[in-house]
Amino acid sequence: MIKEKNTKLHNSVFQILPWIIPAVFMLIWIIVSETGLIPTYLLPHPVEIGKAGYTYIFDNPGDAPFAGRFLNDAGASLMRVGSGFAFAVLFGLPLGVVSGRLSLVRKLMSTTINALRAVPGISWLPLAMIWFGIGIKTTVFLVALAAFFPIYLNAAAGARQINPLLLQAGAMMGVNRLRGTFAILLPGAMPQIMTGLRLGLGISWAYLVLGELTGVPNGLGAVIMDARMLGRIDIIVVGIIIIAVMGRASDQLLKTSLRFCFKSARRMS
Amino acid sequence: MKPNMAPISKAYPRIRESILEINSLRKVFHIDGSSLTVLDGIDFSVDKGEMICILGRSGCGKSTLLKMLAGFLSPSSGEILLNGKPVADPGPDRCVVFQEDTLFPWLTVKENIAFGLKGRARNKKVFDEEVERFLSLVGLSEFRNYLPREISGGMKKRVALARVLILKPEVLLMDEPFASLDAQTREEMQNFLLSLWKNLSHTIIFVTHDVTEAVTLADKILVMTKDPGRIREEIRVDLPRPRKREKSDFLFFSRKLYKGLREK
Repeated sequence: MIKEKNTKLHNSVFQILPWIIPAVFMLIWIIVSETGLIPTYLLPHPVEIGKAGYTYIFDNPGDAPFAGRFLNDAGASLMRVGSGFAFAVLFGLPLGVVSGRLSLVRKLMSTTINALRAVPGISWLPLAMIWFGIGIKTTVFLVALAAFFPIYLNAAAGARQINPLLLQAGAMMGVNRLRGTFAILLPGAMPQIMTGLRLGLGISWAYLVLGELTGVPNGLGAVIMDARMLGRIDIIVVGIIIIAVMGRASDQLLKTSLRFCFKSARRMS
Repeated sequence: MKPNMAPISKAYPRIRESILEINSLRKVFHIDGSSLTVLDGIDFSVDKGEMICILGRSGCGKSTLLKMLAGFLSPSSGEILLNGKPVADPGPDRCVVFQEDTLFPWLTVKENIAFGLKGRARNKKVFDEEVERFLSLVGLSEFRNYLPREISGGMKKRVALARVLILKPEVLLMDEPFASLDAQTREEMQNFLLSLWKNLSHTIIFVTHDVTEAVTLADKILVMTKDPGRIREEIRVDLPRPRKREKSDFLFFSRKLYKGLREK
């Protein structure tokens, strides 16, 4: 690892770095809107987006179309992402770790998993709607299904690639299977597990919108679909930005809480 | 920081009491239908408190032998008896210091040393005292909160030693533990090991390919040859410690061993 120079200048550059690309985007957006290079029916002016966003988030419901829907939508979507992701972790993590360690389980699972993985999520939508009806269950199912694969695959890879000498060292120190799993295997696989969880959470947001495309009254995906139907491109953009912000925030939250809870997450990534 | 390197001024009288018996041990690996005899007819015994070096060139099966003693591999035939009982699985009565770095990278120096003792100490107080004792024994008290990646190779070896010594193993198995270190650090670690050995009087089986290392450390050297791996000769090194590398009696043993390694 290259040691970073710990100067003040260096630090402030590092603070600014993540915002450079969004800022450049903003700038280009303002320029093309101001000059009329792109007509507003294709891409509204940032100020219009700001106004629409304000209405959507802060105004009283009923004052205008979409006014004040934010809390309700965001809450519903968070619930769906949260429970879908939770299901994916509940199944993907233990199954992944076990199949990473036991070739028997790996052999049993791998063909099925890889076949299912090849099926695009959107092809599940009609089936899910028949099974679960329109609404929360379909969305949760789609999110769970989509997030399962990266979580499972990364946990399996992490458990499989762990240095066998670490497990041997544990065995010679008299560590039993149970403690070996929790004190050596899981921490040792933590970097990959973390990658899987973050990928899973990211994909959860993608499938959330897919799940909310049809027939749900609320949610961030539903707002985008409603706005499309009403030709409200400003609200579409607002929805996209909100999902981006919430996706980024949830990733940060996941990373921070893993680091808070596990030494291995704190010290190995 | 310097470890306690008090010279060992005389050979210590030890009560001859056999702790480990290896009887006609044989290991055959089966690879793609053909079989390869790695070890054949290995016989030796180890006395309590003895420092044994197993010396051999790479590929002679010395690491395989150590893995069987540790219980990571099971013999094809023959037996390994520790205090008269056959060895089956790995366990804290036969601890290993590996050649590779096998510290847990997510644990600090202190946590690594404490790892094996968890759930084994009588109470919290005893546990803490033991961890402190072994931290200072290997001279790493000040580095307790460092992670393995933040300390030097020699320090890592000391942590690896402390984390198994704290378990008070009957036999300490060392698989070329200092091979990856530079010459000075290796010599430092050899002296350090000798001082630990003097204080704690462990039984140590030390695998090495380095003649000088073997003569520096061992009470008894088992010279191995390969294809199949056998013990060619047992040489008792009765030099007083500390042993000076330049002295003629040291060189006498070195020459003898080099000769033994060259012959087939």
